[in-house]
Amino acid sequence: MAEIRFENIVKKFGEKTVLDNINLNIEDGSFTVMIGPSGCGKTTLLRIIAGIGPQTSGKVYLDGVDISRMLPAKRNVAMVFQNYAIYPTMTVRENIEFGLKNNKVPKDERTRLVEEISEIVGIHELLERKPATLSGGQRQRIALARAMVKKPKVFLMDEPLSNLDAKLRVSMRTELIELHKKLKTTFVYVTHDQTEAMSMATKIILMNGGVIQQEASPRVIYQDPNNLFTAQFIGSPQMNVLKFAASDVSYGFRPEKVSLTSDATQSFYCRKGTIVTKEMLGSETIYQVRYDNNSVMVKSLDDSFESDTEVYVNVNEENIQLFDASGVRIRADHQDFAGWMQKL
Amino acid sequence: MERTANDNGFWPRIRPYVFILPAMVFLALFVIYPIGDLAVRSFQKWDLIGTPTWVNTKNFEYIFKRKEFIDSLWHTGIYALCLVGLGLPISMLFAVWLSKSTRLNNLLRSVMFMPHVISLLSVAMVWAWIMNKDNGLLNMALGVFGIGPLQWFDSSDTALMSVIIVATWKAVGYNTMLIYAAMQNVPTELYEAADLDNASRISKFFKITFPMISPQMFMLLITATTGSFKVFETVRVLTKGGPGTSTQVLVYYIYKQAFYLNKVGYAAAAGVVLMGIMGVMTIIYFWALSKKVHYQ
Repeated sequence: MAEIRFENIVKKFGEKTVLDNINLNIEDGSFTVMIGPSGCGKTTLLRIIAGIGPQTSGKVYLDGVDISRMLPAKRNVAMVFQNYAIYPTMTVRENIEFGLKNNKVPKDERTRLVEEISEIVGIHELLERKPATLSGGQRQRIALARAMVKKPKVFLMDEPLSNLDAKLRVSMRTELIELHKKLKTTFVYVTHDQTEAMSMATKIILMNGGVIQQEASPRVIYQDPNNLFTAQFIGSPQMNVLKFAASDVSYGFRPEKVSLTSDATQSFYCRKGTIVTKEMLGSETIYQVRYDNNSVMVKSLDDSFESDTEVYVNVNEENIQLFDASGVRIRADHQDFAGWMQKL
Repeated sequence: MERTANDNGFWPRIRPYVFILPAMVFLALFVIYPIGDLAVRSFQKWDLIGTPTWVNTKNFEYIFKRKEFIDSLWHTGIYALCLVGLGLPISMLFAVWLSKSTRLNNLLRSVMFMPHVISLLSVAMVWAWIMNKDNGLLNMALGVFGIGPLQWFDSSDTALMSVIIVATWKAVGYNTMLIYAAMQNVPTELYEAADLDNASRISKFFKITFPMISPQMFMLLITATTGSFKVFETVRVLTKGGPGTSTQVLVYYIYKQAFYLNKVGYAAAAGVVLMGIMGVMTIIYFWALSKKVHYQ
């Protein structure tokens, strides 16, 4: 059991408010990914759980116990740092067992745990080496082993894959998912990479400017965003957002929900435009199409359209989402929904 | 332009040597030649005026029979031991203390460095006043606790200790700054990771801070040791080696032999011995410690 609850968390650095009254539950056993642009407060929130960057006000509960002012070591959490924070002067083995030693775990038990964990993460043959001689991927595993060996209730990870090369990042992603399945403990993971968030999370917490924008499963975040920020942050290329004429209300549709045709169709939303650019990505093609002073991105499996030719942009009714002037989503049950849709 | 032609020619081969030539000339002129000259003179007898005569190893045999030399060596050893063995740990304590960023500490960091920039002559005058045996500040302060009055520079029992106190006072600020700067370079995540690993403050210092600053400590250890073996000005301005010969250190002894008594050959031999001692000490340091120093 490891459920984390934030209650009215505020964090200020000097005069600047980094976290503004956060109330949040992180479910037991979830793989929760906190994502958002730089400076949105995601790492700050993670450090508050760890206790290494305490909140200005508010409370944190771990399984109902108030840990707001508890020392980091007493919280039963482990953290993997962005640049690993491996003790460079210790061997791999000393790194992993440092916490156990400080917690007065007997030597036999310590050795057994270190062997067991290092076997799991695949660094068993590196135990007597110094970190300086190891690659980024290997250091990453040491950091992971050091966290695992303490058998914590919660794993905190601060952009742990950002220093790895692209290929290794993809394979580590899979390994982390497997690890989470095996350990069944709560993972709290911070990243700015939406692919990591989408692929690993059971729940995504999207933050911006110290405020939670939406917390939901990857599927809901993508398909059913609460607001314009969420809609545009997740997805690549990002959602096309266009304004209604003489209004601040906007409508959006994702690039892959568009179908391009050379002739006009009877679809709900059909506009004639010109292809400005074409990017071949192999399996799919991204077109930029311009019409009525708007420019939209289209992701298509069809690579037969050429630049500077005229096409029709078609979108189905259920793939169009509406947002009001302040960016909040206008859902189908809203009184104005039908009215706006009719204007399209 | 292609650079294939003449890559194995005369000029490309000597080019690197031409580039380092100016530095080599200075090194030869001001370091290698004087060392060679010193070694040659140590086998001669010369009074600065007449013609030098060869005396084989007589100078060296003579050196170790002179009590004054052995005493100087002894004083130098004590001086070096105190400056390194007490001075460095004190500097480290100050550095740990100052590493917490408060307004007072920001001020103290500048103040700490001041002794290093003040001229040694001013330092000598100030301390002569502080350590005055009749109305000095230090004796007044000690008097409050019923200690003293001490004779400080005026007694052969306390003079060496007094010199050491002043020298340490002057060196601590500089050493503290170097150690402080090294400590600032230790990544904060390491301490955060250690916090999560339940490390005590002592364990954080000995397992993280100290190993991480060990290259700078090693450098300080060597420079402080060789620096103390070469000490001259401090003794010259504070006590001139006295009272008697109670604060006479090796270099001061050499200086006296060469320029007061005109025994250049003998002084050169003592210089060679001093160089040998420092060489051996440095080698011992490297042999004993270099494996323990952590380089990034």
